[in-house]
Amino acid sequence: MKTTRFLFFCFLLAAFASCHNNAGKTGENTTDNGETVKIGVLHSLSGTMAISEVSLRDAVQMAVDEINASGGVLGKKIEPVIVDPASDWDLFAEKAKELLIDKKVSAVFGCWTSVSRKSVLPVFEENNGLLFYPVQYEGEECSNNVIYTGATPNQQLIPAAEYLMSEKGGGYKKFYLLGTDYVFPRTANKILKAYLLSKGVPNENIIEEYTPFHHQDYQTIVSKIKRFAADGKACVLSTINGDSNVPFYKEFANQGLSSATCPIMAFSVAEDELRSMDTEFLVGHLAAWNYFQSNDSPENKKFVEAFKAFCEKKGLPGGSKRVTDDPICWAYTGVYLWARAATKAGSFDVNKVRTALSGLEFDSPDGKVKMDVGNHHLAKPVMIGEIKPDGQFDIISKTDNLVSPQPWSPLTSPDKDCDWVNHKGTYTK
Amino acid sequence: MEKKIYYLLFIAFFALLLPAGHLMGWVSINTISLWGRYFCFAIAALGIDLIWGYTGILSMCQAFFFCLGSYGIAMHMLLKTSGSALPEFMVWNKVESLPFFWVPFQSFGLTLVLCLVIPSLLAFVIGYVLFRSRIKGVYMAIITQALALAMWLLFLRNETGLGGTNGLTDFKTLLGLPLSNTYVKLGLYLMSLLLLCVAYFACYQITHSKFGKVLQAIRDSESRVSFTAYKVMDYKLAVFVVAALLAAIGGMLYAPQTGIITPGRMDVKASVEMVMWVALGGRGKLKGAVAGALLVNFLYSICTSLFPDSWLYILGFLFVITVLFFDKGFVGLMDNLTKRKEPCY
Amino acid sequence: MKNMLIAALVLWTQWAMAATDSTTIFVSQILHDSEKTYAIQQLVARQDPQTFALLNAINNKKLYLFNNEAVTTGEKNGTSSYEIYSLYPKNELLVNKNGQPLHTSIDALTVVEISRADRLLLNGILPILELFSPEPAKRMLAYGQLKDSHAPHRIEMLQVALARETNTDALRAGKDILYAIQLNTTTDAQTAKRYIDSLAENWGDNAPVFLSAYAKSKKPFADYAGQKASSLERKYDYLQKVQNLFSGLSLGSILILIALGLSIVYGLAGIINMAHGEFLMIGAYTTYCIQTLFTEVLKVPYTDLLFIISLPLSFLVAGLLGLLLERLVVRHLYARPLESLLATWGVSLILIQTARSLFGDLTAVKTPAFLSGGLAVSPHLVLPYNRIFIIGLTALIVLLTYLMLYKTRIGLQIRAVTQNRNMSACLGIDTKKVAALTFFFGSGLAGIAGCAMTLIGNVVPDMGQTYIVDSFLVVVTGGVGKIVGTIVSGLGIGFFTKILEAFFQAVYGKVCILLFIMLFMQYKPKGLFPYKGRLAED
Repeated sequence: MKTTRFLFFCFLLAAFASCHNNAGKTGENTTDNGETVKIGVLHSLSGTMAISEVSLRDAVQMAVDEINASGGVLGKKIEPVIVDPASDWDLFAEKAKELLIDKKVSAVFGCWTSVSRKSVLPVFEENNGLLFYPVQYEGEECSNNVIYTGATPNQQLIPAAEYLMSEKGGGYKKFYLLGTDYVFPRTANKILKAYLLSKGVPNENIIEEYTPFHHQDYQTIVSKIKRFAADGKACVLSTINGDSNVPFYKEFANQGLSSATCPIMAFSVAEDELRSMDTEFLVGHLAAWNYFQSNDSPENKKFVEAFKAFCEKKGLPGGSKRVTDDPICWAYTGVYLWARAATKAGSFDVNKVRTALSGLEFDSPDGKVKMDVGNHHLAKPVMIGEIKPDGQFDIISKTDNLVSPQPWSPLTSPDKDCDWVNHKGTYTK
Repeated sequence: MEKKIYYLLFIAFFALLLPAGHLMGWVSINTISLWGRYFCFAIAALGIDLIWGYTGILSMCQAFFFCLGSYGIAMHMLLKTSGSALPEFMVWNKVESLPFFWVPFQSFGLTLVLCLVIPSLLAFVIGYVLFRSRIKGVYMAIITQALALAMWLLFLRNETGLGGTNGLTDFKTLLGLPLSNTYVKLGLYLMSLLLLCVAYFACYQITHSKFGKVLQAIRDSESRVSFTAYKVMDYKLAVFVVAALLAAIGGMLYAPQTGIITPGRMDVKASVEMVMWVALGGRGKLKGAVAGALLVNFLYSICTSLFPDSWLYILGFLFVITVLFFDKGFVGLMDNLTKRKEPCY
Repeated sequence: MKNMLIAALVLWTQWAMAATDSTTIFVSQILHDSEKTYAIQQLVARQDPQTFALLNAINNKKLYLFNNEAVTTGEKNGTSSYEIYSLYPKNELLVNKNGQPLHTSIDALTVVEISRADRLLLNGILPILELFSPEPAKRMLAYGQLKDSHAPHRIEMLQVALARETNTDALRAGKDILYAIQLNTTTDAQTAKRYIDSLAENWGDNAPVFLSAYAKSKKPFADYAGQKASSLERKYDYLQKVQNLFSGLSLGSILILIALGLSIVYGLAGIINMAHGEFLMIGAYTTYCIQTLFTEVLKVPYTDLLFIISLPLSFLVAGLLGLLLERLVVRHLYARPLESLLATWGVSLILIQTARSLFGDLTAVKTPAFLSGGLAVSPHLVLPYNRIFIIGLTALIVLLTYLMLYKTRIGLQIRAVTQNRNMSACLGIDTKKVAALTFFFGSGLAGIAGCAMTLIGNVVPDMGQTYIVDSFLVVVTGGVGKIVGTIVSGLGIGFFTKILEAFFQAVYGKVCILLFIMLFMQYKPKGLFPYKGRLAED
């Protein structure tokens, strides 16, 4: 009988613990009070996505340390609240609620996969939070509560295809669209296909194919590519994700294909993934991003040095051998954008910060970038890189101007656009 | 009598005090929904306790049944949200018309029926095949685990028309009520609590009936039960279906409160975790199952926020130590502690 | 053939004499002008051997200016200085006044920017630049690229190159292209038939493509070419089936390697070890650590020997950690299989997280040179050495396990305890010691499996999870604790998976396998080779 009593008191305690948690916070909730301002960091530190997301947490932490060292924002130090959504999509939503409602953070920096973003989106919209999302994505979304610092399709996919079709890039005529079976590749290929068709590439010269996650056996697919490439200038546009890349590139080389005959343009292979991979088979192939570590501007050199030093100082795995890449750069930039906007607005209030973000310019490691006035995305340069043996990229093409973001691709949704200043978000033209 | 008071206090606390606390502004709605979700897990845990704790069958695919319930209700909500248009994920999957198996989910009544019938039917078929050939013990555990893996892989595919890795998300209404509304959330929470109480009571009745006694007899010695002319298979099959049903009910309440359902909820890990709740709480005791589900999930929520880098160690050690030293779980530990204090005669 | 070679050389020399002046102009245009495209086009068209070094430097993006002279970098000397070679008109190592090689840092050189577009212009003659490369692989690629290039004299160049070709694969690839070009350019019907036959007989990689392309044309013997193409396709499909069987064998042996330890431990101690996969991971990380330790800490140059010594060491490390686990956790759980399943699952969580915080997430081990590449049974059936190695390793391990279990005293004891623990204890066997030893051995086997797995994939903290459910299935299907059962069911599941994958996609193949096993269990609920007798009940 006493067990039941014990149990009951345990629950009482647990429930009170969770209540007390918020009760305490509700008193000093308005983050403007006190010495610090809280931000949430919502990146998976365990589970399957930890491979990619841990680096983003490090980048955010570094930006926070730098800002704090130079006096903080509006006279307050930034206090990051780091939680682990454990690659568990339900937990992403739960943690987002906790950060916004209980911890009252001013902004959240996080998410990698599309599914995690989709999972937290309703939470941010309901509670009017602000999420900085640093990864390139499939577009077709334009929330008032998300600041998309990663690329939209027209900032990555279209320039890459354009490059390959151009005289300078090799004038390729046939395209093999290969990807892992999830939302980004599916949408990306839909847009790419529409683009290629609009440029007069005949339908039979475009092949679309998907493999499951963690697919390892690319024999049949590569021999298909080989036949496809046998009678004409062909290239592969790859949205293959994560650990499937090495087997694919290996098989590609084993069957006698090379970057000279049939280059692979990858949209999901960055320096951080190549860090400790055997890059032997990847050398000479291409990738399209908005940032490469090999960008030799002084700002970027400083950033790369600082990141390596930060990882070494904190004793993070990899230490000074760590590299930067596109998502890391945008995760880092995101924090600065938020800090600048808060300074400009003179407040941490979400609505004021959002207004201040519109049209904001910032000198990122990648050079000058500019927030779009209306659609919450970032205008930035587009680069094509060639993989080198050390896992770095040789930048072989770079746009002269910043490319404006288009969350709704004019190719697949010609009648849609997004503007939060003159319209209420997504509107039909 | 004293016992009953605590049960009533437990209900009163969660049914009255927490909502009242929310209305007074002490408890955030997030905490309420969180506990609502724990209750869904507790309902599923009751099912696991029935088959594992009482009957001794270790089934490692309960998360799959849980997800079947969730997916069913999520399909309904998604159809209602998107109205006449196709759900968003079908558009980028280039699906032109609504797949046939989505059609029945347009009606709420039919959805409810299907959410209960499909998992029970599947559990019946799987159970029939497994129990008929007297697969038990570790064999049963491993085969059901492989089954969970296979189903997980199937749900991950985009061709199956269930949203692939992204699962189903962005539902806005249930029965015309906006899910973002605080009172709807509160209602769902109370609904979960109510169903947990009903499920607990039903399981209590089952375990204290003759049927329940036979189940425990099967756990203790299956051959002897069959020698005494009981049809062991029928009993096992029945309890397997009941457990699947409970999991599905938990799942149905879970989806609207979480706002997303993905195949991630049904991978191999998820099923083992569910069994761990019961093991930690104390198997063979219904209150153990409920306590385990609530406490482990509470810890999971707390630890991933407080110790983002080391929570896996904490949970891992907790599992190992519980299994090693407190094989009756948390409830058993409490029993031991309290017994020692009683005077010996 | 020799005459031809001489003729070709003479030809070159003559062009060279006539065109040297304008070539020099084009070279200086490349070096100093902003408009380089025309100059490169001209050089490419001329195919002057004297410019090949320069063109190669352009292709490798190593063209620099040094004292107004075109140079490229050679061997690295020290941390940042390189040897440098002049490129045109002479290609030689630059020396300083004392006749010593000149070393310069890369900063002292001016980069000559050549756009990718301009570099791609070289694609046309790259094959010719590389037809005479010392590496067979480069030559093979070069032959392949010649097909689409419109380089003049390509047939002559090909014949010259093939005459001195020594590598059989490269020879086949070269002939493939040569015959195809000749077939497409010939006008005589009988010659065409001869080339079709030669193409089919030579059976290079692209032969079916060439033949079916030819079959679509209206040229003589088009149908004949079509027949030849489809017969080649049939032969190819047949070989593909053999390849599939090999993949099945290879998958099966991996499963056996993992399941063997699992099966022995379960048979003896009634423990289902969910952390078994993590011992595999430990084995892989041991291999990784040994490599890192020797090459980065002790600064010993990498040798393939490191991988060989990793094999026993990963057995030892994984085995010892297994022993530790047995002493700390598992010994409390003997004969409580379901509890052991849960406790070891907790252990696996801890191990994965430990690996993650120690090593980070993505690491890989360098594949030893003697295990990269493959055994070409026929030109179209290449069996990768790493897979063959794993199959051989599995066979050896199975043999050793068999000898250990059936020919040694400790093996006898293990079998006795497996059959009846109490009775063995009565007869004076120290059952605790035997159990601990078995656990050591089982975990060690997983460690070896992990070491072998580094040949196939990356080393990541959750690598153990990939195969663990499958290897559980192997144990269950085979009958727990039986070596024969493990082998038969491991191979069976491996073969069936690969055969089904050929028909369905991998995912549906997996679902089919599972249904098949469930049906199979209807007839053999205790696996293929169950223990018989009263002992087997309960």
